[in-house]
Amino acid sequence: MSIVNRPGVRESYAFPNWLRTLITVGLRWLPAVLIVVAVVGFWEAYVRIFDVQKWLLPAPSVIAKTIGVDAGLLWGHTLATIEEIVVGFALALVCGFALATAIGLSRTIERALYPFIIASQTIPIIVIAPMLLIWVGYGLAPKVIVVALICFFPIVVNMVDGLKSVDSDVVSLMRTLGANRWAIFLKLQVPTSLPYLFSGLRIAIAFSVIGAVIGEWVGSSEGLGYLMIRSKPQFLTERVFAAIVILSALGVSLFAMVGIVERFALPWWHKEHGSRT
Amino acid sequence: MIGRLFCCHENLDFETGNGTMAISQQHNEAMASQSEQFHETRIIDVVGLGKVFDQNGQSLTVMERVNFHAYEGEFVSIIGPSGCGKSTLLNIIAGLDDQTEGSLKLRGEEASDRLGTVGYMQQKDLLLPWRSVLDNAIFGLELQGVSKREARDRASVLMEQFGLEGFESEYPSALSGGMRQRVAFLRTVLADQQMFLLDEPFGALDALNRSQIHEWLLGLWERLNKTIVMVTHDVDEAIFLSDRVYVMSARPGTMRLVTNVDLPRPRYLEMVTSEGFVELKTELLSAIRRESAS
Repeated sequence: MSIVNRPGVRESYAFPNWLRTLITVGLRWLPAVLIVVAVVGFWEAYVRIFDVQKWLLPAPSVIAKTIGVDAGLLWGHTLATIEEIVVGFALALVCGFALATAIGLSRTIERALYPFIIASQTIPIIVIAPMLLIWVGYGLAPKVIVVALICFFPIVVNMVDGLKSVDSDVVSLMRTLGANRWAIFLKLQVPTSLPYLFSGLRIAIAFSVIGAVIGEWVGSSEGLGYLMIRSKPQFLTERVFAAIVILSALGVSLFAMVGIVERFALPWWHKEHGSRT
Repeated sequence: MIGRLFCCHENLDFETGNGTMAISQQHNEAMASQSEQFHETRIIDVVGLGKVFDQNGQSLTVMERVNFHAYEGEFVSIIGPSGCGKSTLLNIIAGLDDQTEGSLKLRGEEASDRLGTVGYMQQKDLLLPWRSVLDNAIFGLELQGVSKREARDRASVLMEQFGLEGFESEYPSALSGGMRQRVAFLRTVLADQQMFLLDEPFGALDALNRSQIHEWLLGLWERLNKTIVMVTHDVDEAIFLSDRVYVMSARPGTMRLVTNVDLPRPRYLEMVTSEGFVELKTELLSAIRRESAS
């Protein structure tokens, strides 16, 4: 009598399961796809109707063609940029984690270091970057440092917030169970801070792409930033845009990857709060 | 009973001089061992306890002249209006806070270093969301230095008794309020400290869940043979569970009334409508009303 109301029974003969999954996923991303289609369509139409010169504003179709034609060239520079991002991000993660731990463990260290960490963010990277070239040389190092400088701030600030956001009742509970300061840090503060750390990592990974480009602009012989700064005076605007498209795709992919790592690292968080990516 | 009678006896001996003192001490030891047999050791003895907080130069007396004790294996409840310092008293007993006056003895000894030896369960279950049910249950053992494997073995045996069988690897967020509270109980029981303090442990549960967990808790307590001191604002709960009920006054908090609960054990839910129960409830409620009014 109530067969109709049982989930899975009524729908099963309408669509096969894989098609239903495809439709739900498709519907979820539909708004984003629609925006892209609208913007690209408008852009393409504008360029064609008003006959805008390629060096001034290349049409999306031209950019797409450039990506196809210059695939080898772009790929080489993309790899160089990825290397700078990954190494810089890893450096920021290690330093940021260590610094946040030190601040979380000691009020004295917090008072001593926190003002300087904030001050470090007010220094314009664009000014520091050329100096780095003089200080540490021309290779991978200055780009990695620029990326790390940009990334470490959101990592430290978020992790410190996380370390401090523990429930004082749980601290009391742990003390009545015989826990010392170190146990409270390791078994309560650190796990509490991990979702905060991952929020910081998302911001950091998005910034890291800009960091790499700035590092390359100031002085380099490879990377997508270098390719852009070389292509612009040659009026190869379509190549500049091709690099921008790849950089954006890179940023989105890296952001998604942080989300995937988080899903595996904090399965409890996702069961409680659902997916954020 | 024997212990208490003897206290008076000792005072008399003290007055009569040295000769009787020696005999009295011998007597004392004999009586002490006997009283242990009768489970009449005072596991906790609080005399003249007071707490004064210093707030911006002004002193605030939260609690004064609190006298209170519990024998080994007893279930004792403390009821009182909110803000009477019940939680402060528990914090002091647990060792999270220190009294500003009076003495607190655990098993007859002044216990200044008691933090970590008294189990304390608060109103919130305080489960860690990143730990499975099993790993939350062993948290206390782990902090005491027991290896994870051994702790898990010990906890697994008790899962069924606590109605948590099959939920070992779930995260707390998947559990109902009553189940979460039972995990917190299991964590407290496994840590196996000399007594348990419960601070309104059932406050967050609905009435149905509550009466079920009351019966369950009594069954558990009878098997464990542990001393439980519970703070609550629920008179029914206090009478149903306890051997003795203390009523605390509003700030500054102090013990106003103490009464023994003579209902037979084991107790059943039906008893809450019995004559003895209702009489006791009337007495306690009027005492509380007097306290809240003043």
